[in-house]
Amino acid sequence: MRELTKGVIQVALLGIFALAGALISGSQVAYAHEVSIALTLIAVALGYRIYLHGIRSLRHGNVTAQLFATIAIFISVVAGLVLPQASATGTAEAVGYLTASAIVAFIILAGMTLEDYIIHRTRGALEALIKMSPSTAHIHRNGAEVEIPIDEVKLGEIVLVKPGDKIPVDGTVISGHSTVNQATITGESIPVEKTVGDRTFAGTLNENGALEIKVEKIGEETTLAHIIQLVEEAQEKKAPIQNVADRFTTYFLPIMAVLAFSVFAVSYFALGFDVALARTVTVLLVACPCALSIAVPVAVAGTIGNASMNGIIIKGGTHIEKLKDVKMVAFDKTGTLTVGEPKVVEIKTFGNYSEEDTIKYAAIAEKFSEHPLSKAIIAKAGEMGMKIPDPTDFKTIPGHGVDAHYGNKHILIGRKMMETEISKEASQLMSMIETEGKTAIPVALDKNVIGVVVVADTVRENSLEAIQRLKGIGVKTAMITGDNMRTAKSIAEQVGVDEYQAELLPEDKVAAIGELKKGNVVAMVGDGVNDAPALANSDVGFAMGAAGSDVAVETADVALLGDDLTKVEYAISLSRRAFSTMKGNIIYAFVWNVIALSLAAFGILNPVLAVVLAEAGCISVVVNSALLLLNKPKPLAIAVA
Amino acid sequence: MTVEKIVLNTAKIDCTGCKTCASDLAAENLRHALARLTGVSKVQVDEITSKVSVEYDTQKISFSKITERIEKLGYKVEIVSREEIQ
Repeated sequence: MRELTKGVIQVALLGIFALAGALISGSQVAYAHEVSIALTLIAVALGYRIYLHGIRSLRHGNVTAQLFATIAIFISVVAGLVLPQASATGTAEAVGYLTASAIVAFIILAGMTLEDYIIHRTRGALEALIKMSPSTAHIHRNGAEVEIPIDEVKLGEIVLVKPGDKIPVDGTVISGHSTVNQATITGESIPVEKTVGDRTFAGTLNENGALEIKVEKIGEETTLAHIIQLVEEAQEKKAPIQNVADRFTTYFLPIMAVLAFSVFAVSYFALGFDVALARTVTVLLVACPCALSIAVPVAVAGTIGNASMNGIIIKGGTHIEKLKDVKMVAFDKTGTLTVGEPKVVEIKTFGNYSEEDTIKYAAIAEKFSEHPLSKAIIAKAGEMGMKIPDPTDFKTIPGHGVDAHYGNKHILIGRKMMETEISKEASQLMSMIETEGKTAIPVALDKNVIGVVVVADTVRENSLEAIQRLKGIGVKTAMITGDNMRTAKSIAEQVGVDEYQAELLPEDKVAAIGELKKGNVVAMVGDGVNDAPALANSDVGFAMGAAGSDVAVETADVALLGDDLTKVEYAISLSRRAFSTMKGNIIYAFVWNVIALSLAAFGILNPVLAVVLAEAGCISVVVNSALLLLNKPKPLAIAVA
Repeated sequence: MTVEKIVLNTAKIDCTGCKTCASDLAAENLRHALARLTGVSKVQVDEITSKVSVEYDTQKISFSKITERIEKLGYKVEIVSREEIQ
């Protein structure tokens, strides 16, 4: 910002000197003419940034508007000093060369400063992220609570986070309970519950309870710092469309040289030296190669910045271009469209036994098992407020079930444990449950089936909306899963995907993506770890829930930091808009230059008007690109319609 | 505390043709990315010559960490000078 202030002061000083020079030239003061020339020359000199820029860029083989402007201003100043007095600093009817060069310098410098400001604003999203990193932390040391700079916090220490404070480190909650707003990381503004054992991220906001957090990552190792670094790196990666713009700009210098020379030559012979000089200067000033070169980078930076504010990291301009063409999105099932953890969804009972009895005996038998289905049963018992006693003895038979005793009671869990004991009624019920894609776990007490626990993976809250949104923008959806056909069918119907494939091994998923890719640009959404090969084979790989998993963030083309699948549609819509902005800007900048140069060559513009046009062209392109930063997700109704 | 000052020539790997306006954006990014590294006390980036100078505390950050960060942002790095200044 300091440089911006300096820029504004330079612009203001230049303007004041130019104005003073012009006013004095028309007054009756002694030596009015000489004083006026001196003031105007000071004004022109104050535009030194333009000339430095122009001359140094030439040394590096670049073509810039500043280079043309430098040449034009130089010619004008020389003309102003050499030509007869009347056209030097201005008479009543026309602005002279010298004054014109000061005005031109003023406009260009003002334009450059304004562009600097907009470019600075384009970094707004990044700056917002950076500001979220707290600079101090509260910790316990020598029995007292002290506030220390974040650099001095050590791994394994305990930080205290009060309600309303930002969490300063990545770590695990060791005591306390609160809700935390993780929008900085995930883009989701609905706060999440945090209690003992939960992971927290630096830069997120602790809302209503005090938390004690064991420090696991600090400084540049935190998820927030990684996100900032990734966004910076992504903004530096060019979009392929940039090459089109680059091709134009490569020819700009030779074309301009030829054009300026021909305009001078033709006008000189047809209309004389004065006109020829004015037209040549005008041609040099109206050219605006900058609009071409800056249109795409600013759009890329704006798009990636916008995405990062929505919990999406797009890893470079190339992916924006791929995303805009996506016609099909393939989702992994477990952990992506579904929560990925089986839950007890129903309990069926037989005889006089209640739901509580069924869960209680099942939980006793499963108490020490690590199997996901056991965990679901124990979680259910916990929800029902039960205290689960230890089994007297138990034996887990992998792939079959559990054989346990509790006092003098014999408990059997799992279908294969009780093949002979199972009643026809229970057997039919279980088959029916399984056709729905759920898992039926029979529970037997002393060889009597007392109930069946129905366990199923549940669909994520926003999976349905995510699919609907994609349909709304004309993108087809598919689900690919390693799970069995019945479960796949059930989930596919619940979320409404267009097609699904089941019973796929990881290498089959890679092949399935290859198959979908025939004639389609395909994006794949998965957890980024188990699905890494399939993600890599797709045109655009989305890793979801990537916060905290460096592997997932690294491997994906697009990382969704939270669990919100609706962001897939947003990423595609944003990229479509970004690409049309880039394309529009390049065409606009090209047409602008052609028209402006033609007008200048035929003498329809004067130098001051020319430079106003050139700056307007450049700034409108920059503003248009920077506006991508303000894009917002559409409500669902509009997306569907 | 030992402070070193390094001057580096950087070049965008995929740089072609006219970039001046775009390079303002890149220079700003580079400046901020380096300034945020722990141990870095001063950063100057010349947007036209792409010359970068960095002053840093050698106990807090290594020379290679700094060049690595610049390379990750898509630049080739060439050392111009490296001296202890404090």
